[in-house]
Amino acid sequence: MRKQNTNAFTVLYYAWIILFVILPVLLLLFESFKNINGQFTLGNYRSFFESGTYLRMTFNSVFFAIVVTLITLLISYPMAFIMSRLKHAQFWLLLVILPTWVNLLLKAYAFIGLFAKQGTVNDFLTFIGIGPQQLMFTNTAFITVAAYIEIPFMIMPIFNSLVEIDQSLINAARDLGATQAQTMRKVVIPLSMNGVRAGIQAVFIPTLSLFMITRLIGGNRVITLGTAIEEHFLVTQNWGMGATIGIVLIVAMVITMYLTRDRKQGGK
Amino acid sequence: MAQPIIEFKNVAMQYGETEVLKSIDLEIEQGKFYTLLGSSGSGKTTILRLMAGFLTPTGGDILFNGERINDVPPERRRINTVFQNYALFPNMNVAENVSFGMALKGKSKTEMKAKVAEMLDLVKLSGYEDREISELSGGQQQRVAIARALANEPEVLLLDEPLSALDYKLRKTMQYELRAIQQRLGITFVFVTHDQEEALAMSDWIFVMNDGKILQNGTPVDIYDEPINHFVAEFIGESNIVPGVMRKDYLVSFAGKDFENVDGGMRPNEPVEVVLRPEDLDLVPIDEGKLVVTIDTESFRGDYYEITAHDDDNNHWQIQATNQAEIGKRYGMYFDPEDIHIMRLNESEAAFDARLEQYDEES
Amino acid sequence: MKHFKLSYVYLAVVFLLMYLPILYLVFYSFNAGDYMNHFSGFSLRHYQDLFSDYRILEILANTFIIALLSSLVATLVGTFGAIGIHGLKHKGLKNMVLSLNNILIVSPDVIIGASFLILFTIVGLRLGFMSVLLAHIAFSIPIVVLMVLPRLNEMNPALVDAARDLGANQRQVLSRVVLPYIWPGVLAGFFMAITYSLDDFAVTFFVTGNGFSTLSVEIYSRARQGIDLSINALSTVMFLISLALVLVYYVLTMRQIKQKQVGSSKGGK
Repeated sequence: MRKQNTNAFTVLYYAWIILFVILPVLLLLFESFKNINGQFTLGNYRSFFESGTYLRMTFNSVFFAIVVTLITLLISYPMAFIMSRLKHAQFWLLLVILPTWVNLLLKAYAFIGLFAKQGTVNDFLTFIGIGPQQLMFTNTAFITVAAYIEIPFMIMPIFNSLVEIDQSLINAARDLGATQAQTMRKVVIPLSMNGVRAGIQAVFIPTLSLFMITRLIGGNRVITLGTAIEEHFLVTQNWGMGATIGIVLIVAMVITMYLTRDRKQGGK
Repeated sequence: MAQPIIEFKNVAMQYGETEVLKSIDLEIEQGKFYTLLGSSGSGKTTILRLMAGFLTPTGGDILFNGERINDVPPERRRINTVFQNYALFPNMNVAENVSFGMALKGKSKTEMKAKVAEMLDLVKLSGYEDREISELSGGQQQRVAIARALANEPEVLLLDEPLSALDYKLRKTMQYELRAIQQRLGITFVFVTHDQEEALAMSDWIFVMNDGKILQNGTPVDIYDEPINHFVAEFIGESNIVPGVMRKDYLVSFAGKDFENVDGGMRPNEPVEVVLRPEDLDLVPIDEGKLVVTIDTESFRGDYYEITAHDDDNNHWQIQATNQAEIGKRYGMYFDPEDIHIMRLNESEAAFDARLEQYDEES
Repeated sequence: MKHFKLSYVYLAVVFLLMYLPILYLVFYSFNAGDYMNHFSGFSLRHYQDLFSDYRILEILANTFIIALLSSLVATLVGTFGAIGIHGLKHKGLKNMVLSLNNILIVSPDVIIGASFLILFTIVGLRLGFMSVLLAHIAFSIPIVVLMVLPRLNEMNPALVDAARDLGANQRQVLSRVVLPYIWPGVLAGFFMAITYSLDDFAVTFFVTGNGFSTLSVEIYSRARQGIDLSINALSTVMFLISLALVLVYYVLTMRQIKQKQVGSSKGGK
């Protein structure tokens, strides 16, 4: 066969893979075996698994991520379903995508105003007679903001999988005697599972690592793996420990991807 | 004999372990319409891609006007291709597609314009210069693809199943037009198809291929009337093939009877296969027939009746009759001695040709 | 019919919730007061503050320079990377390269940021413009690849054969047939890369030093100080820019979809 056209830019691409994909992961792994003085050690992993603080923090982080994922899923599935039945579905999808183009920090910042003691939400709560609440720096605030930011990333894949369902399949189910609810349960939901899986991936993993939201809304507490990594790298300068938590985060990511893989094709 | 324009000498093509072509020899002469006929996977498209230069043979030599071109890339061959799905550039309009090759050669604008007009006229698409490809029907895209390939003034035009995507009527029309274009330009066409009817209708010369080999080559009439073996006989039109024995020259035995025929050059009592085409068989009263058959089924096909029947030896026959027959009734079946075609088992094409020549000289 | 009404209400409520915080920001950017509550009158003074703030303007310029430069380089490398991947004959190798390509897309930002920080420190690159630029190029390349690759896969391979058949050499095949064909994908990749770059906070936050800042990083440090309505003014400006980019992107993808329909009507093997 003819020789492949090897272009200088193609070579650059492979250089990128080596320098910016493979090498950084190896460096992170390598760093996780170094203590704060740069000596080789397993101490980081030991203190991660022995000290209750890190394990509790990991558990918290996973718990928050699960809650956020569930909330977004509950809101997004009906949303995606309704949108997929509409006439100008692509336009509505664009409306969903648009907020994701607004800088994430600006969205978090909006909630600082909304959740402040004298803020709009508290004004509303006072108005309906509940009275002002401490909203900022609570877990609820973190979950609300994280869910708000992640909702579009859950709607998009579910919407796409719903749109791809052949309308004749739904007609066939109805034709064979299924009620609307049965059609939904036996045909539509199973066929949209790929979208749900993709949505869970797209929400769960980033929520584990959302450090800026915890800093801005959740108070200065370290409540996610992401915050812990940021803290160790940029505040306490203990890179070894930070890298160790990073490896834990990568493992958590791989497990999530494995659990939500596309089962029919054996993972894709 | 004139110098062949393309010649394959012992050409082989292998992908890893799989042998796609096995020692192909063929000659293509200037100005004729050739067809490579075979089912998918027979190697016909591989031969085309070897001619075009998209593949380099793993064995043997390909000659163009006597010069070895094994390693000459496609852009430097005076051979152009009409691709199966046309492969028109979607980002260019009709004129830009047709003039693509000329633009690469740096021809002047006026020259290109004239040539585009000439080519579009040839394929009956005059005035379509500024149309986008997406605005054209399948048949029109087909014509643009032909115009584009011909605009490069090739010595040989390769056509890779170009009509397969068109509907029946359009395909018929294009068959005539392609033939007309080839005769008008006088250049060589090499046409690939799996459709035997198409091959018989258009070609000067047919190569029948199967499993990486050329089984038989010849004029459409030769191949239809004198298929070399069971495969070719089945592939080219419908056939009745029954086992028989060649008693001696010009006498063959099958279905329990001896028949006079016109073949010779075989060993006495050699087992053979006997071919009788359905359209050569007639139903007659029992006493006028050479065999007696019982009618099994009958279906009306517009210009004839398709009848199946069996004889007393339990051989099954397909008959194309102009008159209706009665199912379950016995009839006589008549054929002429020259309608009987004999195929020796495992005869090579060379031996077959030699025997035919010998027999032609004798008669 | 009643059933349908309910779903419309749901749709409206979710959309309202999605846009409310953004509109809230925009609304208070016109507040004459200094807080994000109790609108005390219309004023443009926060915009005046914003546009007379030298630091913000410089950071704005930095942010756009980084976005444009990184997207340009990433588009170049990513496009030819996609062409390289597309040309790989070995299926296993192709899948491996694709998996490597996608690592940076699925990785959490903190991991990318932390590992790049280690990389740049070991290489001895001073943190600042260069490190941020390189990081942005690095995480934009796989996005471009993913935008270009589907166009390449869609392209009938016979188009390349046809061009060669008509006399084009490798270079001409690339410039006259392949690039024009995949161009919508390349443009979409470029715009995606720009938005990823403009939007990125976490990676930049890790690899930017003290002297250099982008808009996201600046907003973060200001927001940590509390409410500052010039940030609201800034978000309004950013929102309008995003809107414009979305529009361009939308037009591009629509054109791509249209071409796709044309391509598929021709069949293809």
